[in-house]
Amino acid sequence: MANDEANHSASKSADRSSGIRHSESVIPSSAAAVLRATGLRKRYPSGDQTLEVLRGVDLAVQAGESVSIRGESGSGKSTLLNILAGLDRPDGGELFWRTEAAHQLSLGALTARRGRFLGMVFQAYYLIPELDALANVLMAARVVGPVGAAARARAAALLRRVGLAARMAHLPAQLSGGERQRVAVARALMNFPAVILADEPTGNLDERTGDEVIALLLEVCAEEHAALVLVTHNPAHAKKTARQLTLQLGRMVESVRFGV
Amino acid sequence: MSWPLYLAFKQLFPSGRRLPFFTLISVAGVALGVALMLMATSVMGGFGYQIKKMIIDTQGEVQVRGRGPIENRAAVEEALASVPAVAAWAPFASGVVMLQFENRPAFPAVLGYDLGRIRQVIPLERYLVAGSFDDLDDDSVILSSLLASSLGARPGDKVSLYSPLMLERLKQNEILLPRDVRVAGIFQIGHQQLDSSTVICSLRLMQDLYGLGKTVHGYNVRLRPGADEFAAAAALNRALPAAAVARTWFESNADFQAVLSFERNMIFFLLTFIVIVAAFSITSSLLVTVVRKTREIGLLGAMGGRAREVALCFCAQGFVIGVAGTIGGLAAGFTLLHYRDHLVHLIASLTMGQEVFVKFYQFNHLPAHTAPRDVVTIIVFTLLAATLAGLIPAWRAAKLKPVEALRSE
Repeated sequence: MANDEANHSASKSADRSSGIRHSESVIPSSAAAVLRATGLRKRYPSGDQTLEVLRGVDLAVQAGESVSIRGESGSGKSTLLNILAGLDRPDGGELFWRTEAAHQLSLGALTARRGRFLGMVFQAYYLIPELDALANVLMAARVVGPVGAAARARAAALLRRVGLAARMAHLPAQLSGGERQRVAVARALMNFPAVILADEPTGNLDERTGDEVIALLLEVCAEEHAALVLVTHNPAHAKKTARQLTLQLGRMVESVRFGV
Repeated sequence: MSWPLYLAFKQLFPSGRRLPFFTLISVAGVALGVALMLMATSVMGGFGYQIKKMIIDTQGEVQVRGRGPIENRAAVEEALASVPAVAAWAPFASGVVMLQFENRPAFPAVLGYDLGRIRQVIPLERYLVAGSFDDLDDDSVILSSLLASSLGARPGDKVSLYSPLMLERLKQNEILLPRDVRVAGIFQIGHQQLDSSTVICSLRLMQDLYGLGKTVHGYNVRLRPGADEFAAAAALNRALPAAAVARTWFESNADFQAVLSFERNMIFFLLTFIVIVAAFSITSSLLVTVVRKTREIGLLGAMGGRAREVALCFCAQGFVIGVAGTIGGLAAGFTLLHYRDHLVHLIASLTMGQEVFVKFYQFNHLPAHTAPRDVVTIIVFTLLAATLAGLIPAWRAAKLKPVEALRSE
């Protein structure tokens, strides 16, 4: 770990000398970050060589903040998101979920905490085809504990909030792409998560529907006071978030900060 | 309900959608195996039960036999009276005679009973299809149904009885004339062997035919309800004189019972393979489901589902298929057992013919007796096989890493 940190510092210096703006603003000054990563590194074997996908990524997201991450295909966006979600382990660096050192936890321990700490939205929705919209949203609650009347009421309220009051009893196959993604958004918010990680949530939607979903995602995350980390290719969608980050060559190389 | 069980149930029986083909086929496979196992064990159990009932109805739970004609009857009867488990007993003599009716001969087995006592031991009236037991005396006989049918004899007809004693006397240049007796009735027990060639008469007539004097060949013994026949036979053997021995109905037919038990176990063993094949089909289908639902498995992990819970979800699917298949199989099995005679008659009429069936299988209807122990064995075995069938898919699903599962194409 010490070596990783040393390498990370060295690479930062090299980036500065090469003119890339690798800013400390990626890590906000506030210590109240709900999600914080420093020096995240990830390598994959690729034939005889090793492909270094993340080369010391720093990131901090405050409660209720929205952050977008853009980058070319293969730049490591999804890898970063998986590590932030605790689905994958970094080869170096630190990850904190609120104040807990997530990088020191086993995958099993991360799984046990993940359901309540964060929600995820995927490009392909990943709804369970045998369950109707309401049951799909409730599934997030079932996975972390027993489901009671309060959970049912919240699931129904979330579906009403995302505009699916009349579609609760519909199976995913009976919903449009945009409606499915709305169900996925409601599901991600079900357990009052501190963070929503959205991995190209508009990738399978047409432009208009995609715009609507992003607008909805930002609205409901703000209402629920959940931080949003949005991975997207779409610059227009990225601009709607409070901060826009770009992952390039395995590093966060750009950050523009708007008011939160 | 925990989420693995909830999801397992929903994946097998989704609300608002048609029953998945996989569920239908898997449940049907298990149900078929259960139904066949139930029918096979019930029919084989029925044969055993029918034979037991028939043996007890015709000879009592215990039979005391002499090593020759029993001369010291008083000692034997004293022993019988001394055992509390004995409810009633009746002496008998048995042999073979030649019976002739209108020049038509037959060589039936003949059983001579003490008419005053036999009704307490053997419910002969139950099997009478013509005539009356009250008409049976020292000058009359009751014929088995097939014997009467082959001879064309009916109640009231006169038949002639020739005994081996006549041959003995002939050697001594004495001639004994055949005994002409009246047919008092016709009985049908339902067993081909007994119904085809048996004559029942009074003990006195049998003693005359065989020259037995006051001796008898043995005693049929009826036990008190609930008494253990083996314990009663053991108690009798301790009390009986050395010239007589008591045997239970089971011991008297031990070879036949052993064959029946072996056949029953063998058929059960062979039919278990249907359930095992069904279990393999469940495994195969669930493995396909694991592959098809790889990204859903990844999603469950992403939502906080543990690997063991994902495994439980697939194991539970095997279990639920087992439960549904067992219920369906038991329902189908009991229904088929209820209509078994219709089915057998249909099959017999299409293949060998009803008469051949009766002759071959000894019974004029298919017996069935379902032992609760057999049903429990079938249920436990099926649920175990179906649950184990879900283990390999469950293990595969649990091994999937969410991050890789979500990335899969």
